[in-house]
Amino acid sequence: MKRIRLSVLFSYVILFIFAVITVFPFIYMILGGLMNFQETTSIPPTLIPHHFEWSNYAKVFARAPFARYFFNTVLTASVTTIVSLFNSLLGAFAMVNLRFKGKGLVQMVLLSLLMVPGEAIIFTNYNTIAHMGLLNTYVGLVLPFLTSIFYMYYLQSYFGSISSTIYKAAMIDGASDWDYIWKILVPMSKGGLFTVGLLSFISGWNSFLWPLLVTNEDTMRLLNNGLSAFASDAGSETQLQLAAATLTVLPILVLYLIFRKQIIKGVVRNDLKG
Amino acid sequence: MKTNQKKAWLFLAPTIIFVTLFSIYPILRAFGMSFQGGSLIDLNWTELNNYKYIFNDPEFWLAIKNTILYAVISVPVGLAISIMLAWIIFDKVKHKSLFETTFFMPYVTSTIAIGIVFRYIFNGDYGMLNFLLRSVHLPAPDWIDDPAMSLATIIIFGIWTSLAFNIVILMGALRNIDPNFYTIADMYGASGKDKFWRITMPELVPTIAFLLTMNIIGAFKIYTSVYALFNGQAGVGNSGTTAVFYIYNKFQIVGTPGVAMAATVILFLIILFATFLQRKMMKKIGEN
Repeated sequence: MKRIRLSVLFSYVILFIFAVITVFPFIYMILGGLMNFQETTSIPPTLIPHHFEWSNYAKVFARAPFARYFFNTVLTASVTTIVSLFNSLLGAFAMVNLRFKGKGLVQMVLLSLLMVPGEAIIFTNYNTIAHMGLLNTYVGLVLPFLTSIFYMYYLQSYFGSISSTIYKAAMIDGASDWDYIWKILVPMSKGGLFTVGLLSFISGWNSFLWPLLVTNEDTMRLLNNGLSAFASDAGSETQLQLAAATLTVLPILVLYLIFRKQIIKGVVRNDLKG
Repeated sequence: MKTNQKKAWLFLAPTIIFVTLFSIYPILRAFGMSFQGGSLIDLNWTELNNYKYIFNDPEFWLAIKNTILYAVISVPVGLAISIMLAWIIFDKVKHKSLFETTFFMPYVTSTIAIGIVFRYIFNGDYGMLNFLLRSVHLPAPDWIDDPAMSLATIIIFGIWTSLAFNIVILMGALRNIDPNFYTIADMYGASGKDKFWRITMPELVPTIAFLLTMNIIGAFKIYTSVYALFNGQAGVGNSGTTAVFYIYNKFQIVGTPGVAMAATVILFLIILFATFLQRKMMKKIGEN
């Protein structure tokens, strides 16, 4: 009996250690953003700031256009989320409810495209956007992401679980496909759409390589690019870097803590991707 | 009933247009450009020169070596830790969702922001990690500024980042295992170890296969975390350069898109091969 308890204790110790390793960087980030310069670089390291330097945040906003970065990020993340959700919704509806020649082929092509790493095509997409003269524009930032094969598959699984007799009944009642989508499909899969929307928004918020490629003007930067540029510029001012990092992470962390159930459930449903 | 509802194409049109323009076309274009030399505005056919160039470029081989080392170390280690933690949470803990929420946090946060934080934790002089190492009399290397440590630093950060997704997916899979299996095992007096190796692990094989594929693909694309850790560099003296870093550098900084695309094609082939190999392997394990 005693041996079993020891193993339970051991398990808890491991779990506790890893929980601390996971959470610690976040706590350090938030606290470090409120320290003064000496505290962030002291030996031994300070964990709790002696006096909370809220002015660090004012300095961050004064040094770099973080308000603008926020605006750009919210705008592009929202637009890609809404439009790609809309496009995936229509596509998923067609794949689930309609019968047409070539459906198998479309399915196969899209599935195999899921295998292509984004980084392999991002540079040629840059080329396309540059040719269209869309560098440093909002359109250029969002255009390649206005549809998502992945979200379309995700929604297909949702729509597939709605009995096809409902679709047939709606057709017999004289509803159009458009009516069916908005009056039946969307309300019945609200949860799924919301989850996909959240995941899309989060990935839009955290995007880095694409906006790094297609923008080079300070006013067009997104949060993460602004942050990394700020970190290089503010080089030695460690406390400001940590404050800026907190600014970038906190909104999404709050969103996550509010909707954690939906977000986790959504990610777990990922398994259909494999 | 053979119907061909042509209106389906109307609903699929936006997706097909965007996919053609921004997924299919760029693949073909990347392949084509890998045989072209010159700058973006002045491309000309150069046959296999780009491939010859990258194969003779020590930096390319360093990038490939780093990427592969990163993948073969961080993926199995990260996965093993994830399986251990997910199993502990599932088997021993009451407030499962609390731990799940905690461990998943890194997944939703920006790699750039958290990478900046790790830069301080890893700092050789005043970093928290070395403070801890010194306090237990372990060597405290210069994680960021010593070229020999670059890859190790990237791997540690990579493992930290990978736990989130793995644990949450594994928790989902563990919840899906039929509880009757465990009840019956208990009836026959199976030990915890037996239950883990005879029930849990075999039931987890498909999930582990899925995670392995996802993690390996992710590992081959590593870029942002290196950028964040080393403040826009690929480590001191490019010691931690990766395949995507090499591509970005050749494409945007040096201005030789053809060379970048040749490297992209090679990276793509490596990813395909790794995925294929790993699927074959997992199938074999699943059969036994």
